[in-house]
Amino acid sequence: MSGSVMLGESSSWSRALVKISPYTFSAIGIAVAIGVSVLGAAWGIYITGSSLIGAAIKAPRITSKNLISVIFCEAVAIYGVIVAIILQTKLESVPASQIYAPESLRAGYAIFASGIIVGFANLVCGLCVGIIGSSCALSDAQNSSLFVKILVIEIFGSALGLFGVIVGIIMSAQASWPAKPV
Amino acid sequence: MSSSFSGDETAPFFGFLGAAAALVFSCMGAAYGTAKSGVGVASMGVMRPELVMKSIVPVVMAGVLGIYGLIIAVIISTGINPKAKSYYLFDGYAHLSSGLACGLAGLSAGMAIGIVGDAGVRHPSFVFKIGMLGITSMETDLIALISCTQT
Repeated sequence: MSGSVMLGESSSWSRALVKISPYTFSAIGIAVAIGVSVLGAAWGIYITGSSLIGAAIKAPRITSKNLISVIFCEAVAIYGVIVAIILQTKLESVPASQIYAPESLRAGYAIFASGIIVGFANLVCGLCVGIIGSSCALSDAQNSSLFVKILVIEIFGSALGLFGVIVGIIMSAQASWPAKPV
Repeated sequence: MSSSFSGDETAPFFGFLGAAAALVFSCMGAAYGTAKSGVGVASMGVMRPELVMKSIVPVVMAGVLGIYGLIIAVIISTGINPKAKSYYLFDGYAHLSSGLACGLAGLSAGMAIGIVGDAGVRHPSFVFKIGMLGITSMETDLIALISCTQT
């Protein structure tokens, strides 16, 4: 089943996609990797921070310990930066005749998908850690023995960002551009 | 030119997007499950601190969903190798559907675990029932994962 047989029967998605430069896809992937990760981190910090500051009015002792939740959210943004830097080092210039070659199209798609994975995995991770961090602060204000136990849950949440980074890096290894003709 | 156009050059787009869907949606489910049950555990823990460690079960189950998505994403993305084996549009669409199947199953399993976990941890006698529900959610995801590896 090669898909090359019928006149006019091949996928119109493919006809449209094959005209788009792989550098467009790569650039969007890199932008999404860092932009959406930072969005997730910021969203998480906002959720945690507002609960933390509110709870600290009545229980000021919780502030320094609960900054760890904010640090977990920030880690998500750092993952995004790291992967965006790795992805942009994968960009190579190919001669104009090779831009639409199958291998460079594939490299462009790999960088795009890698960026999407990292960005959105970090977005949900940041949200998750932020929500748990806020309930951690509130329960710590009530009963300080609960802090470490809820922190265990937060660590499970932050593993999701790591999954995204792992898959993003594995996928970016597929981004091999065609070799320059000698 | 149009009669010999095969879309096979763009097949990796769909394949990689399948891997992306597998991981991203599973992570969404895992995040929802973790956050929702975590909030339940925290609010229950204020009244009954001794039950918190037992109630971490739904959180662990939600975390496993993320791992399923990771496995499928890695399997799919290492299977896209046109140098080793020709990668037709068929393979691209197959990988896209596998990834979507696994990812969306994980998303729904995670949401189920979250809602049940949040409600269930507030009653200490229901921890085992949460366990059963969590396991059935994971089984739906596992079935999707197994069918993905067949493609």
